[in-house]
Amino acid sequence: MTDAKKNSKVNKLKYPDGKTTVKRPFGERLRRFINNDNTVGYVFAMPFILGFLGFSLIPMITSLVYSFTDMTFGAKEIHFAGLRNFIALSRDDIFAKSVWVTFKYVILSVPLKLTFALLVAFLLTRKSRMVTLYRSLYYIPSLVGGSVAVALVWKQIFARKGLFNTVWMDLFDKTVNWFGGNGKLAIFPLILMSVWQFGSSMIIFAAGLKEIPESYYEAAMIDGANGFQRFFKITLPCLSPIILYNLIMQTISAFMVFTQAQIITQGGPQNETMMYALYVYNTAIKYSKMAYACAMSWVMLVIMVIITLIIFKTSKKWVFSEADS
Amino acid sequence: MRTKNIIYKIIYHVFVLAFGFCMVYPVLWMISGAFKDNQQILNGGLSLIPSTVIKTNFTTGWKGFGGITFTTFFKNSAILTTIATAGTLISSAFVSYALSRIQFKGRGFWFSCMLATMMLPGQVIMIPSFLIWHKLKLVGTYVPLVLPYFFGQAFFIYQMMQFMKGIPRELDEAAKIDGCSKYRLFFKIILPLLKPSIITTIIIQFYWKWDDYMGPLLYLSSPKTMPVSLAIKQFADATSTTDYGAMFAMSSLSLIPVFLIFLFFNRYLVQGIGTSGLKG
Amino acid sequence: MKKKLVALLMAATLVLSLAACGGKEDTTANTDTKTNTSSTTKSNETKKNDEKITLRMAWWGSQNRHDKTVAVIEMYEKSHPNVDIEYEFFSFDDYFTKLKTLVASDNVWDVFQLGGNFPDYVSKIEYLDAYVKDGTIDTSKIPDAYLNITRDTDGNLVGLSNGLNTYGIAYDVDMFKKAGVAEPTGTWTWDDYADAARKIHKATGHFGTSSFTSSEFAAGCSTYVGQQGKLGEFGFFNIGLTGMGFKDPQMLTPYIQMRADLIKEGASPDAGAEMEITNIENDFLVTGEAGMTWVAVNQFPTIYKVCADQGRTLALATLPRVTKNGNAGSHIQSSQMLCVSKDSKNKKAAAEFISWFQNDVECNKILDGERGIPINDDCRAAVSGNTKNDAEGNGKKIMFDYVTLVGTFPTPEKVNVTSPAGQDEVVDLYRGYIQKVVSGEMTASEAAKLTYEAAEKLFK
Repeated sequence: MTDAKKNSKVNKLKYPDGKTTVKRPFGERLRRFINNDNTVGYVFAMPFILGFLGFSLIPMITSLVYSFTDMTFGAKEIHFAGLRNFIALSRDDIFAKSVWVTFKYVILSVPLKLTFALLVAFLLTRKSRMVTLYRSLYYIPSLVGGSVAVALVWKQIFARKGLFNTVWMDLFDKTVNWFGGNGKLAIFPLILMSVWQFGSSMIIFAAGLKEIPESYYEAAMIDGANGFQRFFKITLPCLSPIILYNLIMQTISAFMVFTQAQIITQGGPQNETMMYALYVYNTAIKYSKMAYACAMSWVMLVIMVIITLIIFKTSKKWVFSEADS
Repeated sequence: MRTKNIIYKIIYHVFVLAFGFCMVYPVLWMISGAFKDNQQILNGGLSLIPSTVIKTNFTTGWKGFGGITFTTFFKNSAILTTIATAGTLISSAFVSYALSRIQFKGRGFWFSCMLATMMLPGQVIMIPSFLIWHKLKLVGTYVPLVLPYFFGQAFFIYQMMQFMKGIPRELDEAAKIDGCSKYRLFFKIILPLLKPSIITTIIIQFYWKWDDYMGPLLYLSSPKTMPVSLAIKQFADATSTTDYGAMFAMSSLSLIPVFLIFLFFNRYLVQGIGTSGLKG
Repeated sequence: MKKKLVALLMAATLVLSLAACGGKEDTTANTDTKTNTSSTTKSNETKKNDEKITLRMAWWGSQNRHDKTVAVIEMYEKSHPNVDIEYEFFSFDDYFTKLKTLVASDNVWDVFQLGGNFPDYVSKIEYLDAYVKDGTIDTSKIPDAYLNITRDTDGNLVGLSNGLNTYGIAYDVDMFKKAGVAEPTGTWTWDDYADAARKIHKATGHFGTSSFTSSEFAAGCSTYVGQQGKLGEFGFFNIGLTGMGFKDPQMLTPYIQMRADLIKEGASPDAGAEMEITNIENDFLVTGEAGMTWVAVNQFPTIYKVCADQGRTLALATLPRVTKNGNAGSHIQSSQMLCVSKDSKNKKAAAEFISWFQNDVECNKILDGERGIPINDDCRAAVSGNTKNDAEGNGKKIMFDYVTLVGTFPTPEKVNVTSPAGQDEVVDLYRGYIQKVVSGEMTASEAAKLTYEAAEKLFK
């Protein structure tokens, strides 16, 4: 509000007019209204608000409503089911396992992926002809996405007689059965694949690094700071909003991980890679139990909201913002 | 001192290159698969060099399905991806400005809504969304595949917001004193300074949209409108035979456009630190 | 796109008025469809000034099937200038994802392909009996037995089968020889099967038998239960799919025990190895690492050829039985079928297309039995007489002979041609339980009980 007032004062000074005294209050009010923070905010946020109300809100609410019904595919009638889906969920071993597996995946893959992405971005921001080549090398895996080809190669690398075991056999004279046994190891190839496709985080880090003014580094050099000090005293704090961003986004998308598990393990063995989103897919599409899948999704949404909130709350301590300071 | 430097450099380059090779190995395997037959792909282990080079994969692959070639599929992908990326850029920049720079009522609320849209799995949103587009009689057209991108994408809105945080508030103040309205401030000052963020958005959104096949699967009906991502999936079928060679050939070709986009824009991200002179 | 919609609506109204004429729209000069010539010419006159009917059609498959099907569609459009077919094709998973959205929006394709898993979509299927009665669908050359494979338990004709199919055990002849095991006879048992698997494993170090992957349920539940008792006494589900077809869960136990034992002994792939199987083309039998595997016989010619190229010979054995003189447990099934959707505005035209698709000899020569062996006698003769004297042709011959053999087996009077909605969940649970038996977390008898309970839940 104060901003808007100030603005109009400035304008008055700039465009003093004596003639239009009658019209002035309206023009003044209009200008005030247009430059009011609320107006500006809603004008610029309008695309999102319209899109949200038009395309996101209705499906979201629909899925919430479904979660209290017995909706399945093929059934023409939908009945209110109260909390039955949620009660069934609490007794569903596979759901419990999928939540556990997903947590395991998030906790292991996100820090690994971000550390790796930051490291690569940092090492490969130097001005050098080779850097473009290197960065391309590291980025290509991210471009292929979750295709059938990638699934095949990933399976073959970790197969009983695959590349990994050939090397392992030479070194340690034994093999690792990644997808067999009790299945406890099966999640690691998936985590590795997620780290392997770290490109989007890396690109965003790289852009962030580029934004750090060189003068900061120069000043630090004069103060005699070494490379590590510069990294921890300048690079990390300046990059902290981007780190927070990548952390939030990668956490959310790790919770939603689906493709890797679907194309490589289909959730097996013994549901040890049954990611929550894959279980949702199986329930909704394969088993046709739409309502149950919706209930599952909303339980998970609440969990994710809580985790996101925790990250935001703690971030106040370590995120350094140019704009807020 | 100099020799030490050179040794460091060599170690750096060798390490980065060797590790880079491990990174691209699976991709190279896929590309070499484009020159193998099914047997070599499925049983030939992880060798990068085909024992017998099959050259026909590209021609059989390119001819597509039932007379619709990959020329059509690539054209469709190009149209879809370009429009969607442009839409994302414009809308996300607008929305991020509001959410990060303007203190308007309900800002926190809309921000939370934005994050929430990312937290429900596509599988449960899919059917209700489809019904909306069906009611609008737009299923079978490109509209459901590109229009939503003009309303901002949460991932990129938030990304731009974080980059805007790096732009000093003093600029806003200075602009204000110059009599610059918040609208002009966005176009004249914020937007130009957002270049690295915009470039990352282009690179990432382009390949996401290029690889996306779920949307096209749901909303398109004629094979003539299929993008490459969906077309490639049609080679593989668990219940009948799959021509892996042709599929790998087309998968390899499909990498080229996204890679070119990356190469083209990447140089803006490695020009050296701080050359944009933002805060320096 | 909007134009197309308008055209579709116009076509719909046109067809309604056309339906009143009741004429056949067939303009082909094919010998076997010439029977109704009089009505054909009559409707031709009315057709000439009509606008196009648009039919939407979809199927799943891979490149080969897409190409062949598009070719016959173009052939049909040429001979039926008034019909315009808008086709869509997908891989298996994608097809059903897409179909679900279309079911939800009451917009299912006019002609669509379904397998035995259609109860989920039964509300969308137009029964074809009326079209057979009024002559739209020609069944004169289709044996009743082959119509019955696409009849539900109430006797409604839900579609026309794209081809005959059945299960068998494909095996590597040389591996049997090397292990000194007699090749399977027509009445071999599951004990013989397990015995052969063990011996092959011991002699060659390879797996005696490959995993049955997603067919594990068909083998250990549907087939194994059906093989017990008198012919038709038991089935995994009852006739009519309203409940279970057997009372004692322990009927499942021996199979589960056998399967788990084989895995434990290394004679059959464990979960890790099983995961390496992407589809039948890199099944361990095909890669030379296993002696036997379960196949849907329409896949046999492909793997036969692949193995022949490597200098190995495959053969096809009937399914093992529970007892030597017991039920065969296998019968002729429909690989997939074409159905007419209830949402269609051109049901009659759709039915007519299906009739042509399954009956026209030229059409089936192009399709070449890729979807299974044609149900029409003339088409079957044309396709089976068409086999070349190469590896693939030989594989096809084995397949044709095998299907003829299975056709002679006594089959129960009534067979479920479908599975109940939600069966996939039971399949996944069942496969999980077997793994738990392997790891010692539960006994085979507990696994049987849990499978039974999970299946029972489908009807609650």
